[in-house]
Amino acid sequence: MASPQEDGVFERLKQRVDPAEHRKQHDELNVRQFKQEQRSQERLAELIDDNTTQPVTISSIRILNADRTRRAFLERVISPLLSVNRNEPYTLAETLQEIGGAVDKLNRFGIFKTPISVFYDKPDQTIPTSSPTDIDVYISAQERGNYTIKTGTEAGASEADAYVNAELRNLFGGAETLSAHGSLGTRTRSSYSLAFDTPILSNPDFKFQLNGFASSTLKSWASHEEVLKGGNSKLAYISPTGHKHEFGYSGIWRQVTSLAENASPTIRADAGDSFKSSLTHTWTNDKRDYPMLPNSGYLMKTVSELAGFGPLKGDVAFFKSEAESQVALPFGSTGITLTAGLRGGLLYPLGLGASSTPEKSRINDRFQLGGPTTVRGFRLSGLGPHDGADAVGGDVYAAGGASLLFPIPKVGKETPLRLQAFINGGRLLSLKSGEKGGKTDVPTSLIKTISSLKDDLPSCAAGFGLVYAHPIARFEVNFSLPLVMRAKEEGRKGLSFGVGVEFL
Amino acid sequence: MVPNIFAVPAPIRQLFDKFPLLTYPSNDLPHRTRRNGHVLYVFATEDGAAAGAPSYNPACLKWQTYLKFSKIDFRLVSSNNHASPSGALPFLLPSSTDSNPTKPIASGKLQRWAMDKSSTGIEESSDLRYEAYLSLLDHRIRRAWIYSVYLSPNAISIAEPLYVLPASNNPLVRLSIAYDLKRAAEKELLKFSAVINTESIYSEADDALEALETLLGSDKWFFGVSKPTLFDASVFAYTHLLLDEHMDWVETRLRDAVRKHRHLVKHRDRIVTSYFSEI
Repeated sequence: MASPQEDGVFERLKQRVDPAEHRKQHDELNVRQFKQEQRSQERLAELIDDNTTQPVTISSIRILNADRTRRAFLERVISPLLSVNRNEPYTLAETLQEIGGAVDKLNRFGIFKTPISVFYDKPDQTIPTSSPTDIDVYISAQERGNYTIKTGTEAGASEADAYVNAELRNLFGGAETLSAHGSLGTRTRSSYSLAFDTPILSNPDFKFQLNGFASSTLKSWASHEEVLKGGNSKLAYISPTGHKHEFGYSGIWRQVTSLAENASPTIRADAGDSFKSSLTHTWTNDKRDYPMLPNSGYLMKTVSELAGFGPLKGDVAFFKSEAESQVALPFGSTGITLTAGLRGGLLYPLGLGASSTPEKSRINDRFQLGGPTTVRGFRLSGLGPHDGADAVGGDVYAAGGASLLFPIPKVGKETPLRLQAFINGGRLLSLKSGEKGGKTDVPTSLIKTISSLKDDLPSCAAGFGLVYAHPIARFEVNFSLPLVMRAKEEGRKGLSFGVGVEFL
Repeated sequence: MVPNIFAVPAPIRQLFDKFPLLTYPSNDLPHRTRRNGHVLYVFATEDGAAAGAPSYNPACLKWQTYLKFSKIDFRLVSSNNHASPSGALPFLLPSSTDSNPTKPIASGKLQRWAMDKSSTGIEESSDLRYEAYLSLLDHRIRRAWIYSVYLSPNAISIAEPLYVLPASNNPLVRLSIAYDLKRAAEKELLKFSAVINTESIYSEADDALEALETLLGSDKWFFGVSKPTLFDASVFAYTHLLLDEHMDWVETRLRDAVRKHRHLVKHRDRIVTSYFSEI
């Protein structure tokens, strides 16, 4: 039997709460909570502010939860912070900054879950060894899982594939990574690789990588299939100002095989095996705000490769150098941006080993130009020398382009969607024969070739289209028409679709 | 007519046709080589190919010799199996112009092509025994050749310098190619018997050579014809290479077997003096 008191409760529950009243209460609560939080933040800031110059000594740093990570590996990051290992005393502000730096380093190894939390504590003052300025630091670094396996399928412009990626993290407790990749597809027929990656001296900005791979790629623009088997090793370094350097050695066995029925004589001449043994250096300085769709900033990149020279041996010998730059200029805060890019490259044939006769360049090593991510408005490898239907590539190239990007009305400049108008063009040339004293002379031919780049107008195209920048790739749909071409070069009139990471 | 909705409307097509506004002459090809003339892609050294010397591969030498018999003018290009549309050398790329590119002709269709091109058509013998004798060459002698070149000690002195070393300078690549070559030779021989029996391979080849010697007799060409035929070219392809002083035969059983047959030796010398004298 319900008591009258209880009846009152039911009555009250039956009454409908006024939604406006409810919202008001909720808002008030929020405001109260926010103010409280703000006050506590301010108090903390004041407290730190008042004590910034307070001398502090770090007596201990304890890393919690990092069970699978080697102690020696973490010590290299942590021990320089301990007061025992420093000559100068800390102020509180410096301490916070230094600890923050160490935590940032730990974050960049990619083996811990973010965020990594830090706690500070005063040691027990009754311990005779402790001094009044001592603090203890606790860093809670939860490790990420030790492996990931990803499988999937991808489809893009004239290419579709299925892949498996597997990654073993923190293999030996020193942020080492072993990753394996396998894919089967329509253009890249098959591709397998195994890579081992490790930071050197517990420095996330200094890495060593060892990589082995095998792949088979259909190169329909030059009527053949390229089969690669090889390996490379790399040292990668990122300077504090963000310059990336990579030094590497690679040894690759290349096979030009499975020629199409109507392959040209130039391709037939290059069919077969060749071994490339080369040293490479890559320098990248990327200061763009959003690399996929830059609004401001610039990119500079150079790639240099020395193959077959002196003790490198192998079957091909050349020096190859490529440079790339891009600049993005915003028009105030309108969201309108002008981006301009310039690229160039040259292949300088060298004598193999101690030989002084320069080796002729091969289809595997020559540059290709044209396509949605290089010179828009041309087919893939549509520029440069063509033997019959085959794009046989060139030894020297230069390409440039400018795009004006507008935000789409009503969609706004915050969405990564833009309208673009562009003009771009380039030249791709084979090395002209140069003679000096009756003998073929490479410097003479190179000078002749480079100076002929500016003869006549470059092959170029103009158009407009739509750009969408996804965090992992940029998509473009463009309408374009070629303006200037060479005979046999393959332009593309009308619509074309492009997916890529780096566009001109 | 049903209107095609995907067809480009005429005014737009006319506009499109105006582009590109400017067309220059085509770009130069890298290291432009001589284009005119028929080209036979064979196993040969660079210098040998330039001089027109006999190829060191019997299949290539057979067709090289046959084209010479047919009085067809052609050039040799040193190549490898990857360049061939059929996966094996030789093949011929007929004379082409930029406006009229030609398709390569595999060795199986070369006889037909040569008959069409040649002014002095070569009639093969219509002898009933022709096929039987041809099979002696294509099976018994070929098998002995494969064994001798790729699996006997000659592999080091002949197969390696001729087929493996020119492919690459890299020791690992060479090792892999040498291994593949040996495996391919074994596989070919195991098509005919369950085990590779050296004695029976060589004795069968001996018998075959004996039969050919008897067939030729004191005639100038096989089957008593007046002009050399594809059969003569096929025999010559083996006998020449086995007797060639430039070939470094370490294991000489097959070579010795040919030497014993003086008609075959004379037949080979006759072809060398009439068709390869300039080398």
